[in-house]
Amino acid sequence: MSPPKPLTVVIVDDEAPARALIREYLEQHSDVQVVAECTNGLEAVKAANELRPDLLFLDIQMPKLDGFEVLDLIGRDAAGVVFTTAYDDYALRAFEVHAVDYLLKPFGPERFAESLQLARSRISRQQPIPARELLETHRDGSAIDRVLIRDRSHVHVIPVEQIDYVEAQDDYVSIRAAGRSYLKEQTLGELEVQLAAKGFLRIHRRYVLNVSRLAKIELSEKDSRVAVLHDKTELPISRSGYLKLRALL
Amino acid sequence: MHPILADAKQLGLYLLGCLPIGIVLIIGLGRQGAWLTAAVFFLPLMLIYAFIGLSSFYLCRAFPINKEERTWRAVPAFVCAAATVGGLCVALAFGWARLLVSLNIGLQPEVYLAQPWLLFVVGALLFWLAIAFHYVLIASSASQDAERRSLEAGLLAREAELKALRAQLDPHFLFNSLNSISSLTGRDPSAARKMCLQLADFLRDTLRLGAAQRISLQEELTIVERYLSIEQVRLGARLNVFKETSPQALSAKVPALILQPLAENAVLHGIAHLLEGGTVTIRAQKEHSMLVVWVSNPCDPDRPRHKRGGFGLSLVRQRLQSQFGLAGQLETGEERGEFTAKLSLPFEPPEGMSANVSA
Repeated sequence: MSPPKPLTVVIVDDEAPARALIREYLEQHSDVQVVAECTNGLEAVKAANELRPDLLFLDIQMPKLDGFEVLDLIGRDAAGVVFTTAYDDYALRAFEVHAVDYLLKPFGPERFAESLQLARSRISRQQPIPARELLETHRDGSAIDRVLIRDRSHVHVIPVEQIDYVEAQDDYVSIRAAGRSYLKEQTLGELEVQLAAKGFLRIHRRYVLNVSRLAKIELSEKDSRVAVLHDKTELPISRSGYLKLRALL
Repeated sequence: MHPILADAKQLGLYLLGCLPIGIVLIIGLGRQGAWLTAAVFFLPLMLIYAFIGLSSFYLCRAFPINKEERTWRAVPAFVCAAATVGGLCVALAFGWARLLVSLNIGLQPEVYLAQPWLLFVVGALLFWLAIAFHYVLIASSASQDAERRSLEAGLLAREAELKALRAQLDPHFLFNSLNSISSLTGRDPSAARKMCLQLADFLRDTLRLGAAQRISLQEELTIVERYLSIEQVRLGARLNVFKETSPQALSAKVPALILQPLAENAVLHGIAHLLEGGTVTIRAQKEHSMLVVWVSNPCDPDRPRHKRGGFGLSLVRQRLQSQFGLAGQLETGEERGEFTAKLSLPFEPPEGMSANVSA
């Protein structure tokens, strides 16, 4: 009574022996089909977007994008994710907190089968891993150096210094940087926390501003204030935003 | 802060030490039959003077006695200060005497004001005493400091050695290597065995040499090569190695495992972050009286700064400092996508002809 459709799997690891090992272990499971092997995070995001695999085996330490950044970017493109790592205290703590299964290298076929089974049951119950919570615990409120944005299969890496301001738009944030706007599925509150130590300030319910871009503050009609940026963009400032700005300047 | 004022117990002892001086003054300057007047007049003055004397600490600190060219320059300053303090004594004595008289308690301290120059000389001389006292104080606390510092330096050095040893057995490296071996076991058993042996050799070296102080650069490079060949199994064609060394440099003695962390850094924070990989270049040569080793690697300028990045390098720095002081240096820099660590330390020639090189 094998299932009608095989479980599609993408293996992501920058080390060839590590990929080969997972492929070898998967040979024992006839209902699994490896649809791609990726050697870095960028490839993984692309594969997840284009192939929509059921399951990703995701290494944490990789060039360009690490496993957590990949998770951040793929969103719901992969139903299940199993992290693999040799040793990473920070990551393991996050996994433990959110009861997320992971594989510690080196792992044997039995442990691997167990992990596969767990992932399978998560997928069949349509219970994705708590990506946002996991990322939050992993970052632990620390500031970020860059914001990653996925545009279909393409990944934009935006250094924090290049961002002018961020605007909330429903479930998204619109990030204005270097004359372009980028949409990212994230809440403004979350990004506000990550950018706070980098000279950004929430000036309005809907805006987080890079304070170094501020040219002047103008008084508009009926007592409300407007932030004018160096590029002449005007953003509204709320009462509490103005108090915070004044305290900072 | 003044060391005596900072500690109530020391201040108490100091004031107690001033008491005999006050008594000497009473006996020396007091008049027959008027001992009470002398005591009431001189003891409070002595107490105030004790605090004025403390100010000489700052003068002593400004003119430390260990630098000869400054010590003689201190003499005019001391003379001026002593004269000022002497004058201050006279003023205080007059003020105090007037206050006592106005209290109208039957004391006549005016007799002591008849020879103001005597009060002046006593005040100035006592200030010289205070200066001498503070020099002794500073010297004794300096020697205590030096002792503490040398103890701390010794502890730091030993701790650095221990940490260095532990860092050699980077768990990340170990587990990744074991994973590679596990992978090779199924597909290529002879490659798995070879890697097992390489790993064993590397571990044996790090354990054996941890305790030894000096090995030749040649031996150190053998360890580095073992390390890199293990990483090559993991990273495949992404990791290449290029070496350029002079025979003279190879014979030099270096602290064991001083270079391996640099190679590890080049791999973990350089090559491993590059999709296409790159070459770790190791160059070594003798420059005048120094041995200079460069380890360079291409790096991704946008790589994420890892929480534990640079840990290995700071250990190397600590070890260099504890063994060579300022003569051992590790400089790092990044230029146009190339990271370079430059290690320079005093060139130590091999002892006699017994440069035993294991290969």
